[in-house]
Amino acid sequence: MKKLTIRLTLNAERKEWSIAPGDLLLDVLRREGYFGVKRGCEKGECGACTVLVDGKPINSCLMFAAQADGREVLTIEGLAHGDTLDPLQEAFLDHGAVQCGYCTPGMILNAKALLAKSPNPSEAEVREMLTGNYCRCTGYVKPVEAVLAAAKAIRRAR
Amino acid sequence: MFDQVDAYHRPRSIREAVRLLHTGGSRARVIAGGTDVIVQADPSIRSLVDITQLGLSYIRKAGTSWAIGATTTMAELEDSAPIRGLAGGILARAAAACGSVQLRNMATLGGNLANASPAADTAVPLLALGSIVVLAGATRRRTLPLAEFFRAPGKTVLGKELLVEVLVPIPPRGGRWGWSFLKLGRTESDISLVSAAAGLQLDARGACKSVRIALGAVAPVPVRAAGAEAILAGQKPTAGRIAQACEQVARDVSPITDVRAPAEYRREMARVLAGRALRDCAQLAGVTL
Repeated sequence: MKKLTIRLTLNAERKEWSIAPGDLLLDVLRREGYFGVKRGCEKGECGACTVLVDGKPINSCLMFAAQADGREVLTIEGLAHGDTLDPLQEAFLDHGAVQCGYCTPGMILNAKALLAKSPNPSEAEVREMLTGNYCRCTGYVKPVEAVLAAAKAIRRAR
Repeated sequence: MFDQVDAYHRPRSIREAVRLLHTGGSRARVIAGGTDVIVQADPSIRSLVDITQLGLSYIRKAGTSWAIGATTTMAELEDSAPIRGLAGGILARAAAACGSVQLRNMATLGGNLANASPAADTAVPLLALGSIVVLAGATRRRTLPLAEFFRAPGKTVLGKELLVEVLVPIPPRGGRWGWSFLKLGRTESDISLVSAAAGLQLDARGACKSVRIALGAVAPVPVRAAGAEAILAGQKPTAGRIAQACEQVARDVSPITDVRAPAEYRREMARVLAGRALRDCAQLAGVTL
């Protein structure tokens, strides 16, 4: 088996990684220490492994690492600016939208992409987006509130 | 999971991709969005042929059709103004029903068809629209109606060929059209238990000039309901006539029982969904039922 080299921008840093042809992006990210990318169902159902690739949320369990070559990847580790949290992270804390926390990175990244595309989403849009992130603790009420509050905070800051 | 894969190819041309499929034989697999290939985790795969660098992500006018490249994603289809405007947006709505936002950013139109699931959401509106698939082989291209592309669950007519494009004919002008797409699933983003697409074109007298009914997850492949279409053709779409067509739908489908639903439930829901879709179409075409 021949190893491949991929070059990507991960959380605004240039990376060059050696991978196996059949490596999945989820496995490579965790191997490189990005444990905010959670291993869940490994079937694209639960959304715990969500990352943004070129700004779009995808399930990293369903992408070969080779496909990340030349792309821009964002994980939850890259969302805060130093000690300043992203407004979505702030809102999740303020609203108590985190319980066990396993689904939280995926939810926040998915929400990040939604708000970039739709800065003033309806509650229905937020709920539709969150169908891609299974959460067995919160019942979704507080995450939905948090996303709507973050949207408001971002709009106010502009 | 894919430890046995020894090559990941990123061809830059369709010709090179087809050549790699030939040399790889039965152990080569086309990969685009990955949402089916990775979940199925076929242990016989030795080489992957990534077709996402071939320039096959596009939606453009081609004469009297819309040409959609095979690697166009579900998200691109649901966000496309021309696809939202085509035939009441039934293809855009089906694409939007294909799982979560993450899956829709990855899953491709070509993959949804080539995977040949009886429940493939995009196949149903595409069949109703009379779509054509374009297949590229080593020496030539061929086109065939989508209705002839599927052979059995998971099986298509594809040999060592690549599905490169889908041509969606723009419905003929004249008269009044009504279109509908409906999906029944355990949840909004779950796989279809039954899906239905329909289109009715009414002439000046209010009779059906064109009738299109397609169904998913009720037969080994996505199907057109030809028997039901014949009942409505040339007739006014009255409530009684629509009910009669739906009885024919229930007689003609051949659903299976699986973990999600028994065959009899699917048969009954095929009747119900076809009826709702046809009534939607009739009303959108200006008929008071």
